[in-house]
Amino acid sequence: MATNIERSAAISSAKTKHSRSLWSQLWKYRALYLISIPGIVYFLIFRYIPLFGSVIAFQNYNIFKGITGSPWVGFANFEKMFNYHDFSRILTNNIVLALYDIIFVFPAAIILALLLNELRIVLYKRIVQTIVYMPHFLSWVVISGIAVSVFSPETGLVNSVIAKLGFEPIYFLGDNNLIRPFLVGAGMWRDVGYSTIIYLAAMASISPDLYEAAQIDGANRFKQTLTITLPALMPTITILFLLQIGQILDFGFERVWVFLNSLNSGNGEILDTFIYRVGILDMQYSYTTAIGLFKSVVGLILLWLCNTLSKKTTGESLF
Amino acid sequence: MKKFILSLGIIMLAFSVLTACSGNSSSNNKQPATNEPAATQHTDSAEGNAEPTKFSISLRTLAVNYVENHVNINEDVWVKRLEELSNTDLDIKLIPHAEYEQKMAQMFAISDIPDVVQANGGVSGKELAGSVQAGLFMPLDEILQEYGQDLLKSIPESVWEYQKLDGQIYAIPDWLSNTSRRATVIRMDLLEKTGLPVPKTVDDYLNVLREFKKLGVEQPFQARENLKYSDVFFGTFDAYSYNTMFMEQDGQIVPKFFDVENMQNAIQTYQTMYNEGLISKEFATINPATYKNNILAGKAGIWNMNANEVLQWEQQLKETVPDAKLAVIASPTGTDGKGGNYLYSPMTRNFLINANVDKEKAIEIVKFFNWMVSEEATKFFTYGWEGETYTLNNGTINYKQPENADEVNLERYRTFWLWLVQDQTYVKGLMELTPEGQELMQVYDTILANEGRDGIKFEPRLEAFSDNPDISPLGDVPAPLIIDHIIKMIYGQEPISDWPNVIEEWKAKGGEAVIKEATERYNNNDGVFLPQK
Repeated sequence: MATNIERSAAISSAKTKHSRSLWSQLWKYRALYLISIPGIVYFLIFRYIPLFGSVIAFQNYNIFKGITGSPWVGFANFEKMFNYHDFSRILTNNIVLALYDIIFVFPAAIILALLLNELRIVLYKRIVQTIVYMPHFLSWVVISGIAVSVFSPETGLVNSVIAKLGFEPIYFLGDNNLIRPFLVGAGMWRDVGYSTIIYLAAMASISPDLYEAAQIDGANRFKQTLTITLPALMPTITILFLLQIGQILDFGFERVWVFLNSLNSGNGEILDTFIYRVGILDMQYSYTTAIGLFKSVVGLILLWLCNTLSKKTTGESLF
Repeated sequence: MKKFILSLGIIMLAFSVLTACSGNSSSNNKQPATNEPAATQHTDSAEGNAEPTKFSISLRTLAVNYVENHVNINEDVWVKRLEELSNTDLDIKLIPHAEYEQKMAQMFAISDIPDVVQANGGVSGKELAGSVQAGLFMPLDEILQEYGQDLLKSIPESVWEYQKLDGQIYAIPDWLSNTSRRATVIRMDLLEKTGLPVPKTVDDYLNVLREFKKLGVEQPFQARENLKYSDVFFGTFDAYSYNTMFMEQDGQIVPKFFDVENMQNAIQTYQTMYNEGLISKEFATINPATYKNNILAGKAGIWNMNANEVLQWEQQLKETVPDAKLAVIASPTGTDGKGGNYLYSPMTRNFLINANVDKEKAIEIVKFFNWMVSEEATKFFTYGWEGETYTLNNGTINYKQPENADEVNLERYRTFWLWLVQDQTYVKGLMELTPEGQELMQVYDTILANEGRDGIKFEPRLEAFSDNPDISPLGDVPAPLIIDHIIKMIYGQEPISDWPNVIEEWKAKGGEAVIKEATERYNNNDGVFLPQK
């Protein structure tokens, strides 16, 4: 009994202490909190408040009546989406492309970062890094222009090599079977260099002592990479992987749109390009918001699943 | 901490200085580059000193270089002159050409609507997003009767029909007296080399193209993605699949691609050209820029283009191929002896007045548009400003032809963009001045006026189309489902004999409802426009 009272007294004093210390904490770091206000306000205004706009997915939104005046239609827009005769094809395209991205592009950045890390001549390393970063700053429109001419079956560089080797020229952009590898390849070419930045930063923070110790024990460079660099990178890899999973259906609108044509849209069309065609060109805002919401919910569920799994197995997690 | 506040202060100071500087420089740039406004002040008192009518107007830039590169179009010397002559004070709000529809929708969504809004020619187009039906604009019949008589007289009755909703006029349009805008153009110099006569039928055309191929022309017929601006052989067989192309078949109103034989003949023609290398093997990925570059580099022999640009393109082509000679020729004709590109709708822009504008102001605005078809306006927009773009010689006008790209851009801006209500077919006053211009006018009146394909169309568009974008066509692009099959058939990925199945697929994916709605509306004469030809 007595211990109970003592304990509850201790708790309440800890509570007051805690709240007092929260305020004193706030006051102590007031400058930091102050400068974080614009950021918080930014997220509130431009990220959180617009979330409420998603309710138009459940309305038949009319721009003249606004959110308050438009009639509610329940899940009609979602029904329309799932009943759409090409929905499964488009969703499959989207998922297959996303999986390709995770299987091929995601590890490519890690491998490239490991390779860059092994370069010893600083000048050479910088030059290579700059060259592999560069494509990231090109817009997709420019890349599609380059790709169309480089891969052209009549005048393109690639096909002239293929022809020299004695094969038939390939119409890369006009082949429904080649469009997926093409899209994934284009994405890899553009972004793989840029994605190495975070890995390189993480590698820079690995203590050199570890490598020295390993060298003394007779580990060669490959062994060092496997036993020191990679394990040290694991937290970063996990977090980036989880983020990637969260965006699984966000393959990127422009990345696909600029390459689509009549011959390849069968395997190339994704949700984003469909949303663009229906929503922006056809002004069906509610319908496309419903599709967008579906995408986000799928992303959220997968993110949560993978996060929980990762927490259980590796202890690393986003939240 | 002190240090932090100090540096923050310094940064803010630096920013305010920077913005102040840039503010200065932009206000300097606002000054019109060409002329001082002093020269424009003489008409002010002539108008009887009435207060100029002040109103805001949204205008699409229409990819006119002069407009898109202008620092501030409201300070432009030509806008100032227009304001002086018409006794108005315009507040022009530009809408970027490429994002026109999105920006219009945004404008309606936030209810920031100018006094006058420019639309694409109709009153129920996508860009207006149903705003006329929602009562955002003013019916103009009464005011036009009283203050717009010149407009009513100049603009053809058929064009006014497009400006009506429930029998009332809602907009003031420009018009096209000749809606056959797209032409078939041939490299006359190459044709002369082959010794062949000017082609007429599809077979003639194919023969000429084959000869061109032998001469080493890379792409005898210039095709491009979605067959846009290269669709003339569909016209030969009267088989366009656009939103203006409905026809009657067995008591129903159906798209023209329901005619299996015509459609298969057209696709077959393209496949022949594809197989023989008369069109590029990769036309499915040739974009508009490549299309134009190929033509201007002399790599093409026959192509489709807008007739009003032929002289300019010929000029540019001559820079690479000095003896190049272009000619507009009659498009390939089919079994009915007709052919041609699809006909444009008979107007390109129109202007709606905000319902919130009070009546006096609306009257003044209508007067402003009425002035546009006056002699004074015609002279101003055609020839420009005395002493600058022309001189008067004993009462005859001596026009200074534009000599460089800037002057060409200026002329186009003045005669096309700034002249809001006019016959947009061609600028007659300028065409008459040169032999080439006269020749082109001749082409318009003899060749183009006699060709072109049109069909039954519906305004506002059929509701059933909005359920599935895949079956819904545009003005000059077939529905995605249709064009995908056409292209695949040309590439030999699907047999042409499959066309009936394509029609079935179109029907199954929502086309059935389209036919039903079209037939009903046709029978009730509800927003139906019959073929112009």
